[in-house]
Amino acid sequence: MRSLAQAALAGLSLAVAAPSVQAGAEPFDVVASFSIIGDFAREVGGDRIRLTTLVGPNGDAHVYEPRPADAAAMTKARVVLVNGLQFEGFLDRLIEASGTTAAVVEVSKGAHILPVDGEAHDHHADEDKAADHHHDEASDEDGHAEKDHAGHDHGAYDPHAWQSVENAERYVKNIAEAFCLTDRDGCATYQENAAAYIGQLQTLDADIKTAIGELPQDKRTIITSHDAFGYFEHEYGLHFLAPKGLSTEADASAADIAALIRQVREERASAIFVENITNPRLAEQIAAETGLQLGGALYSDALSDKDGPAATYIDLMRHNLTTITSAIAGS
Amino acid sequence: MAIRFHRSMILACAATFFGCPASAEQIEAWRVFVADHSEPVVRAIDLRDGDEIERFALTGAARLHRSQSGRMVYAVQRDANRVQMIGTGIALGDHGDHGDITIGAPRLLKATLAGQKPVHLVERDGMAAAFFDDEGIARLVAEHAALEGTGEPQEIASRAPHHGVAIPFGVHMLMTRPHPSDPGALPVGLDLFGPDGAPAIDYAPCPDLHGEAQSGNLVALACETGLLVVAPGQARPEIRHLPYAAGLPEGKTTKLVGGTGLRYFLGNFAPRVLVLIDPMQEQENFRLVELPTRAVDFASHPAKPRFALAFTEDGHLHRIDVVAGRIDRSVRLTGLYSMDGHWSDPRPRIAVAGPRIVVSDPLAGQLHVVDTETFETMGSIAVAGEPFSIVAVGGAGETH
Repeated sequence: MRSLAQAALAGLSLAVAAPSVQAGAEPFDVVASFSIIGDFAREVGGDRIRLTTLVGPNGDAHVYEPRPADAAAMTKARVVLVNGLQFEGFLDRLIEASGTTAAVVEVSKGAHILPVDGEAHDHHADEDKAADHHHDEASDEDGHAEKDHAGHDHGAYDPHAWQSVENAERYVKNIAEAFCLTDRDGCATYQENAAAYIGQLQTLDADIKTAIGELPQDKRTIITSHDAFGYFEHEYGLHFLAPKGLSTEADASAADIAALIRQVREERASAIFVENITNPRLAEQIAAETGLQLGGALYSDALSDKDGPAATYIDLMRHNLTTITSAIAGS
Repeated sequence: MAIRFHRSMILACAATFFGCPASAEQIEAWRVFVADHSEPVVRAIDLRDGDEIERFALTGAARLHRSQSGRMVYAVQRDANRVQMIGTGIALGDHGDHGDITIGAPRLLKATLAGQKPVHLVERDGMAAAFFDDEGIARLVAEHAALEGTGEPQEIASRAPHHGVAIPFGVHMLMTRPHPSDPGALPVGLDLFGPDGAPAIDYAPCPDLHGEAQSGNLVALACETGLLVVAPGQARPEIRHLPYAAGLPEGKTTKLVGGTGLRYFLGNFAPRVLVLIDPMQEQENFRLVELPTRAVDFASHPAKPRFALAFTEDGHLHRIDVVAGRIDRSVRLTGLYSMDGHWSDPRPRIAVAGPRIVVSDPLAGQLHVVDTETFETMGSIAVAGEPFSIVAVGGAGETH
């Protein structure tokens, strides 16, 4: 069975060896595993790519079940962009089912990655270790690292690296590099697009730091549904609590919810938020038990649809920032 | 009894398959449970050597279903008015970075569901629901309770006796709505019952409802006008009607199977046509697959998510590429099995046992074994009587 690691190595070799897409040629096919990476791909690739996104707006990649059409898209693709860090539990079986020979690119490579229980480190020095995390023997999606959170986690690392804008810049650079390897004639365009977009990301990053910096220190604890905001916390100084762990796949136990409610009271959390990809009932229950107001919806693992408030990555981060700061200000 | 091996199969077993340890710690084991077409007996057969491990005497001839975990086989005995249960003796445990396998003797359990004319049984998330047609009642048992010998079956009643089905869906229950005036007619739609046993919605209409399957977190039921697709919702399951695509030839689905590994449904549609259905696809969500002759049985392929399997009346097993939407391999296994005659006549059935596909051949008293990778026959297992309904359980894991 071709695992993600094997696909990545084989695909990159092919991408280097194969003739690149010619100038003026048809766009080449790209698959992005979920909507946030799809947005980055669109910014970098523009009309030189034909993009298929597997897990679309408001979709939950933790529990996504691929379809034959996804396998067909993978078969046609020249490049497949994935987050890695075991975010896409369905990926290995989809690679096998599709028989794709595309370059499978883990766009989180080189980003500052948070292990579940330690300090951030760069996700490239331990590539082999990371690759090992990506292909399980069986086709199960369940994680294996132990952690003191509810839910069933996906491995030793927190996969939600895009919640740090600096990491998002690395994602974009990796995408540009992957497109350059596939289409050398278009490389200048990809690099230009990436540079322009990274400029926007840097402005975004500065704005987030400024806004969070103005929040009172004793009001920076907030609650979300699942543990998707570790990077935001690490980067910008908020403190997130959540009843579910890194994955939405498993339900939080009653004991975990009770522990969280105690913690909410002890740390005097300011607000609680639902997420676009999770059932709001759990957040509503915790809000009712703790007397916290629901502060609105945050977008964690997926963009909104195009008419929603988080149709792009930049919109997503700005929406989340506004929602959080407004809720805290009003608490 | 023994398998008649082909040379390649002997070599393969010598290499590492079927209960031969790949290492000191890793074991793979597969069992096939075989119900006779007309005799009240189920045989448990070790696929490694084709030997019968155990034989279970039942009250009546059975149709078999396996649980999702593989720990249980349900023997639905329509004419004997009961469902009996067999613990398979194989348990797989997922520990993240490795899996465990526990192998013990299969055993007939005390747990029984009794009632008038059970036909359809569906197990989902560890809860089995058998529908008793002549009562219009679904009786439910949790797999763990049946294995432990604890707990009492629960009951949910539909409006009237009819040929129906009940499907556990989280804390809810889906159950067919009987025809209002003709007890012999197929159901007219689907009811949804809440955790309290009360109807949660007005029913979802779907005339001549017959055929249900699961794929991923979806359940689909087929009827004259299309499918009902049930998905998890915020407060309760969401049911929507997916009409047959415009432009399809005349036909309808009455039997469905669900994909494993990839989410799709495969159904019959016309005598020599199956239909691949992707309910989440916006366009081309119904794709027809032509067969050389009429379908006798079809199944998903848990070991190879890209493929499904179909057996046709010309005695051939076919592998269907569900991405391309066509047959890509075929192998002749049996003599002819015409679909003329009674629907319940003894005909081949398919089961997938990891790296092997098993097809029953009731008239020849055999199980044919096909290699999943090469799609070539590997041998056959002689079974007394008319081996008919089959299920396979097993897997690989570490033993401690």
